[in-house]
Amino acid sequence: MAIDGLIILDSTGRPIIQSGYTSYPPGYPILHVDALNTELSKCARAKDVDPVIYVGPGIGDLRGSACCHVEVGGMRILASVSRDADPLVAFAFLQAFVDVLVDYFGTVNAATLKDNFDTVYQLLEETLDSSGHPLTTSPNALRDIVLPPSLITKLIASIAPSGPSPASGRTGAGSLAGAGAGAAFASPIPWRKAGVRHNHNEILFDVVEDMCATIGRNGATLSSLVWGKIECNAKLSGTPDLTMTFTNPTVMTNCAFHPCVRLQRWSRDKVFSFVPPDGQFVIAEYQYGPPHGALSGNVPVPIAFKANVTTDENEGSFTLTISSKLSTKPMENVIIEHYLGEDSTGAQCSTSSSGTGLGTVGGAEGSWMYDHHKHVLRWEIPNLTTSGSWSLRGSWTSKSKTPRPDRTYSIKFDIPSYTFSALKVDQLRLSSEAYKMYKGVRGRSKGSIEWRW
Amino acid sequence: MDSINLNAFAENASRLGLRIQESISEHTRDLNITRGAGNIFDMADDKVKNIGKQLDSSSDREKLDAMKRLIALISKGRNVSNYFPQVVKNVASQNLEIRKLVYIYLLRYAEQEPDLALLSINTFQKDLADPSPLIRAMALRVLSGIKVPMITSVVVLAIKKCAADTSPYVRKASALAIPKCYELDSSQQPTLITVIQSLLCDRSPLSIGSAVTAFEAVCPTRLDLLHLQYRRLCRILVDVDEWGQVDLSNLLMRYARTMLPKPIVSQDQDSNEEVDPDLQLLLSSAEPLLQSRNPAVVLAVTRVIYYCGPPSYGAKIVKPLLRLLGMSKAIERVTLVYIHKIVRFYPILFSSHYMRFFLRSEDAREVKKSKIQLLMGITTLDNYQAILRELIDAAEDVDDEVVGSAIHAIGFCVQLLPSTTPQCLSALTSLIKTKHDIVVSKAVVVLKSLVQNQLSSSATNTEVLQSPISIVSQLAKRVDDIRHFEAKACVIWLVGQYCATQGGSGVVEGVADWAPDVLRKSAKTFASENVTVKLQVLSLAAKLVALSPAHKTIGQISQYVFDLGRYDMNYDVRDRRRMLVALLSGISEYVTDEDSDATSQGGIVLRREQVIRVLIDGKAGVLEIERPDVGQHLIGSLSLVTGKDMQGDEILPEWLESGIDPSLRQVEEETTIKVEAPRAISSHRPSNSAPTPVVLTEASAHPQEKKDWRNLDDFYAENEEEGGQEQSEEEESDEEDEEESGDSEDEDEELGTEDSEETEDGESEDHLEHDSSNHVNHTVESI
Repeated sequence: MAIDGLIILDSTGRPIIQSGYTSYPPGYPILHVDALNTELSKCARAKDVDPVIYVGPGIGDLRGSACCHVEVGGMRILASVSRDADPLVAFAFLQAFVDVLVDYFGTVNAATLKDNFDTVYQLLEETLDSSGHPLTTSPNALRDIVLPPSLITKLIASIAPSGPSPASGRTGAGSLAGAGAGAAFASPIPWRKAGVRHNHNEILFDVVEDMCATIGRNGATLSSLVWGKIECNAKLSGTPDLTMTFTNPTVMTNCAFHPCVRLQRWSRDKVFSFVPPDGQFVIAEYQYGPPHGALSGNVPVPIAFKANVTTDENEGSFTLTISSKLSTKPMENVIIEHYLGEDSTGAQCSTSSSGTGLGTVGGAEGSWMYDHHKHVLRWEIPNLTTSGSWSLRGSWTSKSKTPRPDRTYSIKFDIPSYTFSALKVDQLRLSSEAYKMYKGVRGRSKGSIEWRW
Repeated sequence: MDSINLNAFAENASRLGLRIQESISEHTRDLNITRGAGNIFDMADDKVKNIGKQLDSSSDREKLDAMKRLIALISKGRNVSNYFPQVVKNVASQNLEIRKLVYIYLLRYAEQEPDLALLSINTFQKDLADPSPLIRAMALRVLSGIKVPMITSVVVLAIKKCAADTSPYVRKASALAIPKCYELDSSQQPTLITVIQSLLCDRSPLSIGSAVTAFEAVCPTRLDLLHLQYRRLCRILVDVDEWGQVDLSNLLMRYARTMLPKPIVSQDQDSNEEVDPDLQLLLSSAEPLLQSRNPAVVLAVTRVIYYCGPPSYGAKIVKPLLRLLGMSKAIERVTLVYIHKIVRFYPILFSSHYMRFFLRSEDAREVKKSKIQLLMGITTLDNYQAILRELIDAAEDVDDEVVGSAIHAIGFCVQLLPSTTPQCLSALTSLIKTKHDIVVSKAVVVLKSLVQNQLSSSATNTEVLQSPISIVSQLAKRVDDIRHFEAKACVIWLVGQYCATQGGSGVVEGVADWAPDVLRKSAKTFASENVTVKLQVLSLAAKLVALSPAHKTIGQISQYVFDLGRYDMNYDVRDRRRMLVALLSGISEYVTDEDSDATSQGGIVLRREQVIRVLIDGKAGVLEIERPDVGQHLIGSLSLVTGKDMQGDEILPEWLESGIDPSLRQVEEETTIKVEAPRAISSHRPSNSAPTPVVLTEASAHPQEKKDWRNLDDFYAENEEEGGQEQSEEEESDEEDEEESGDSEDEDEELGTEDSEETEDGESEDHLEHDSSNHVNHTVESI
């Protein structure tokens, strides 16, 4: 039940960083890298690559193994597993590891990892035991053990000429204890650093809701779900014990919580009672259960879309119309994509809009492009206001006599300061600390709808 | 003169040039370090030479730089073990950062240089007494990671020492070191088992997860060691760290299946369930963890409930599993396989959630295929309409493999619910009309087996009987449009099989009107067809001749086909033709075999009825459209996901007839345990933190704590010698911790008053306003 090792590959498929693999034959990691690269080159569409790839047994090893991989910032991170290991543990760990990297470096891509490869190695050492069991993955605990790179530490390191390092210089007397060693493991709460001090105490919440819907070709909603996530950025001193109440907690169903939330309080009183970690974290995830959830529990889709598609020999044509059903908030970054099939060669379209109140200036009508590499037609509308409708009319050509476009249009959109559930925080109380804190909540929504035609 | 001056000048100039170059390179090196380690990672090979010199330098900065370069080289897959002696010297460096990199290096190469690695042992032993728990834990980690058999005794001593450490983090490190030590020297097992036992009794939930890992590695079959700990472990499950929860759940599941009685479900109408209280304890302690954000934890709890729980618990795992589907593409892929496994045995759990398995075009191929299989698994009379519609939609996917499984699933629908036949058949026939070869051929193949099943099984039901025959006739008329060889062979076979008619109403006596034309068309293209098709064309010709031996045109076309078959390149075709011609030679004047004139007159000649029997009857066996196999593997195993046997050794223990005596689990300390978790968590609270207790699990204090510990000691002293010894050690450490236990009582009092504090706070209620206007910034309300 363990992870054999972890390898980070750059965009060209070359390994940048890999864990020890000391108890495996030397060829073992290479087998996995090869298996992944072969699979990636085999699949025409990157999304079709199976996240779990079976890797045949290598020389001197009779057992097969498997490679679980995820894509992050243009790189692939792969975890090798074998025997009884649960791939879900591997994926959960990869997710946690990526979260840690994001916490340390902000953005995660090949360049940042190469710049900080020594830190990444240390993190790898601390998060994954050599027996393959995940260890500490809470960023708060890790920050005590592995110092995050900051401009200042780097500057000091480069300026101070061959003297003692800032860490050992500070503690002085005898003990090795560096900057991290003193504070490490001192916290009674595994997810929170001890002795946190902020000059400005504040806690901010972001309620992010994501709609995932499928619309049938007759326009009926086949499935439509809203997943919510409450992100929190806590900058509070000491050990703050918080209690958060909601005016309508029943909209949250099927919840999942950060370990800091006391589950008993939630099931009994429907309040969040917790001591937050320091910094950013996701406190809870939930599914929005509409109050009059009929049999299906479908949430109404906030857009109206019509697609008229005809295919002919070597070509096809279409007329698309979209408008918003929301009466209060405009939508942003509306992107409509259609995969035109492997044989498609090009497209020609024209955009128009009516009654939008935006006119045609500044690309308000939207823009389109055809991606020759992915064979995808993409239509973008930067701002979809509450009134009016947008349309795209055009045609495409194909090498095949019977063009085979995808049967769905994928529509993605953002709605700032709007939540489907209208979840409302009633109050947030701080006990155990005397100071006043600033509090804030905001909401935003996004959606991804597949519309069949 | 001039020339000399010129020479001197040139010399000076080149010297100056060198100087400038040197100073520039000096400066750029500084710059490089300021910018980050990126250039170290991609450094040129000539820099490698300096590493040795840098390691020997007295400057920490140089050493750090060298270590970074070394790690970068390791990263690129180079073997840098030749620096081992110089690196080992730095193991006692005062700089923590250098040390960490040295550790990373040591762990990779110590196995290759055991003698040199021994040089570092002293430092680690010294570090085990360092005041910082971080240093102690790191020292033990590296010590156990150096795979040099000579030092096992040192490692065992270190493990023992750290297992009694005051810091739970160090105890955790000690637990982690146990499997490595065992791997190095399995003769240490008895000693290690006692350490594991003491670690499993640990009052802090922090190290429990690692102790469980050690247990699984060293003595996985010694579940009897857990009797006394079982109830306590169940209770603290919720406080263990996420990864520990996974391991602990799996261990407790194994314990429950091995030691506890199976839940009994009475067969009455109200189906009462009888669940052992200890099993109930496990289930109710695990259940809250279904709300974990970590998918691995959710799955571990699912396994506990699925493999140990009574049926009534089944419904609890549905929603959390469905939640995992939305987490990420990769997690969805794996979870679908697990759900599929559950659905095989409890389809009812998921049948009302069928919409969750509708295909999305952004799904990967594997995901789409699993979703189709799942939909097949949960089809019931209530939801088949929607599922069938979804499958028909899926048959128009752009991916051929997905189309294949979707059409296969439609066929399965008919088999499962015969009442859906008309709908499925019309769906399949409409698919045949599409322009895509793959869709057509898959649909034909499934249609073939459906028609075959229908005609053979429900021969009495004339109402249904009529429709399959009309489908065959439709297929026959479209035979030219069907290009895929397999599909074409199917159609030709179907035509031959079902073209017989009673009476002579048609153009050709005894044969349906549409059949001869199929033969005519295929005779024209015979030469260019695939072997499979050729074989079927030959059979069709023979069947038609047998059904209508007197018809001249059929006879002639057949003879033409047989002639072509006689000279075919493929010997299967030639053989088939020879057999058929021999069969038919007695009943039709048009079919003759030139070869046989002279030689084989002596053979038996069959009558027409006999030939028909040979050719057509007995072929309509019922073809089962199979459910995809889910295999014997457990939920949460790699084998289930890859569909291949990964040769894991995890076996689900069978339930015992009746569980072992529950009094073995009876611990008198039980009542005291409740307070342990909070006490341990806050025992190492730094003095500068706030006075409020941080309680992970709310629990009440029990006043008789100390007395119970005494009783337990007595209990051990009387009953077990070995165990008693160890428990008394435990007792000792407990007395050392008495100060802490005093602490915990204080805290529990505070806990009691917490509620009233809250209400006081409530007077100054601060309402949070939802931001509606400004979405760029957080609205911040000052108080």
